[in-house]
Amino acid sequence: MASARCAIVGSGLAALATYTTLRHGGVAPEEIVVFGTHADPTSVWARRAASIRQQHMRSESDGHLAAAAFPGLAVREAARRISVRPLLQTVTNRYRPTVDAFLADAERLRSTSGWERSFVERRIARVRAVDGGFQLDGEGSFAHVLIATGHPGLARVPGAVHAYEPHEYAARVAIVGAGMAAATEWLNALAAGSEVVSIRRREPLRRPLNLPREYFSKRGLESFHRLAPPQRAVALHELSTPSYPPGAAWDEPIDRALRQGRLRIVGRSSDDAQSTAWAEQVISATGFTAGFAADPLLADLVAEHALATHDRWIVLDSDSTVPDLTDDVRTLSLAGVAGQWAFPASDTIAGAKYAARAFLRRVCRTR
Amino acid sequence: MSYTLIGRIQSRLLSALPALLVALGIHRWWAIELVALMLAVGLALDVLVYHRALAYQPGWLALPLGLLELAIVYAAMRELTIAAPLRGALGLYALAWISAQVFAHAVLPRLRLEYAEAGGEPGRLGALTAVAVALTVVGGLGGAYAVRPPTVHLHGTVQGPLVIRHAETLVGGVVKGGIDIRADHVTLRKVTVVGGTYGVNVEHAQHVMLDRVRVLHFTLDAVRAVDAGVMVKDCSVTAPAGPLTTGVLISYSMGRPMSMVSGCTIVGVREGISTHSSMVDVMDNHVVGTSVRGISLSEMSMDRASGNVVESANGIGIVCMDHSMCEIEHNTVAGAKVDGNGDPSRHGVAIEAYFYAEATVAKNTVIASPGGVAAFDQSTIER
Repeated sequence: MASARCAIVGSGLAALATYTTLRHGGVAPEEIVVFGTHADPTSVWARRAASIRQQHMRSESDGHLAAAAFPGLAVREAARRISVRPLLQTVTNRYRPTVDAFLADAERLRSTSGWERSFVERRIARVRAVDGGFQLDGEGSFAHVLIATGHPGLARVPGAVHAYEPHEYAARVAIVGAGMAAATEWLNALAAGSEVVSIRRREPLRRPLNLPREYFSKRGLESFHRLAPPQRAVALHELSTPSYPPGAAWDEPIDRALRQGRLRIVGRSSDDAQSTAWAEQVISATGFTAGFAADPLLADLVAEHALATHDRWIVLDSDSTVPDLTDDVRTLSLAGVAGQWAFPASDTIAGAKYAARAFLRRVCRTR
Repeated sequence: MSYTLIGRIQSRLLSALPALLVALGIHRWWAIELVALMLAVGLALDVLVYHRALAYQPGWLALPLGLLELAIVYAAMRELTIAAPLRGALGLYALAWISAQVFAHAVLPRLRLEYAEAGGEPGRLGALTAVAVALTVVGGLGGAYAVRPPTVHLHGTVQGPLVIRHAETLVGGVVKGGIDIRADHVTLRKVTVVGGTYGVNVEHAQHVMLDRVRVLHFTLDAVRAVDAGVMVKDCSVTAPAGPLTTGVLISYSMGRPMSMVSGCTIVGVREGISTHSSMVDVMDNHVVGTSVRGISLSEMSMDRASGNVVESANGIGIVCMDHSMCEIEHNTVAGAKVDGNGDPSRHGVAIEAYFYAEATVAKNTVIASPGGVAAFDQSTIER
């Protein structure tokens, strides 16, 4: 650890994406320390995916954790199955890797990248800026730190089981929420023979990815980065509208259940209490608590260093770095959901890579 | 991919690199001109159409866009009379298209991790390479322009025969007594040739282009090419001055680049288009009223006849003969007439294989030709 220049705080998917990116850029395992609570970077995410019985990723062929987009998961699957079908699916944007394939690829990367040599099982509670770097809870000083602590917690509805926790389905189920997890839970509960009430505050959008595609590249990001803070916050609120992908795989079972009366949709109002009273089980598919204030480490960082914030976001430069604490010799980056100010889809794999690549550029620049 | 405009332009320039290297490697001006044309068309579409219309470009769109660009490049190539052999041009285009896909989906994302999120911008090194490609193309075109053959404009009538011994472009005018071409890289454009044993006689030369040339009152052949590689495009052959005349005759040119005869109108000769021991693409010609054969592909030639219209040929419309191998497709033969000498091979045969010839025929239209499609003397016709 004495020779380490880089620290990654957190040990989830964004941490692994950052680690593989640094390794791709020639940074040795001895130069990196990963502080986290789980040696397996996929464990938390995999448990959530298993809880909602997710079979396929929402991301596409490049939705993997390796540094370079090519070869993507479609190419690997085509080679493995000796079939052009995954390639044809990916050029028509119809390829969705299975969760198993994604996890297997993540495991391959973990085991070949040197992750174990850099991983330290330790929860970091405080990050402090010092001369030339950052002090991490007495673990030493690092010139470049990327914080990827993930979502601060589940957004719960009182008395409900959360979709991302293991559960079965009762005969009458109320599902709160309208995003990808909620849509998955509608289908799960219907397939289990339940009657379902969908409780939603607003109608979900239908789009293949979490956000419109231009927000994943410079073309859309440039105009986003030009927005003044109030407008940027409004844009982020608008982009957080729940959505799930279009397609018959979703529509057909939902339409059939609506016709049969096994699925009802109600708004979150007076119907809400009536529906939850009717239900034997309430499932909260309401995602995660939002905002830096819900994350003790980030809240402490903001308070200690008086960082600029707007609404629930920490203000970041377009490369996901904290401007007040980043200069020619040190870098503090935020990856994952905390990086939304720089990249609206920061809580996706693409978002993790966006922050990771920018982090690598700074690390390489100061080598 | 959601390209920025700069990303589109730089990616296009970079992915042209393999095609440009091939063009430079084969030492053919047409290839450099074609790469430049492909880039010009592509960049114009990038700036004027694609960037505005395609905020996001899915992978499958590369195929229809590639076909659109191919059509535009082909039309522009013909309009600018770039003397490119069709197969070579298609091969170069295919290479450029495949390179573009490989670069966009594999090479550039490997070389620059941020390639996709940067809107297809390849970074500093990529940008420099793109500039180098652009400069090479411009430099190549400049070089081609600097060493291009001189252009001579003829006005009025010139008494021939003219003998051309150096690369040059001859434009316009009327030449009496014929033109002899003895040099490579000669172009005749919109020249009318009157009289002469041969209207235009090309010997031991290649990269010769006859573009919209009119020939009349010749006594043997309107266009004769021996040991030559010629492109005869949109010619007009009429009013022969004897009974033993041929419209376009290409002989003993197997060792030369492939020749092409396209878009010509040939009327009233003994044989319309005739090849011997050559490789010729005979396409989209109109041959009328020949006294022996409309189109004759013969003497171990390897030829293709497609899209031609042969009308009122005496005896035979189109023939593949004497150990030749021919592809005969999409032609129309109408009113092939019975010769009357009792020879069944001249009994108004529309399409014929004769004397150990192998012809592949497909999608031809035969009208009022009593001999139909037939093979004689150990020949085969594959349909």
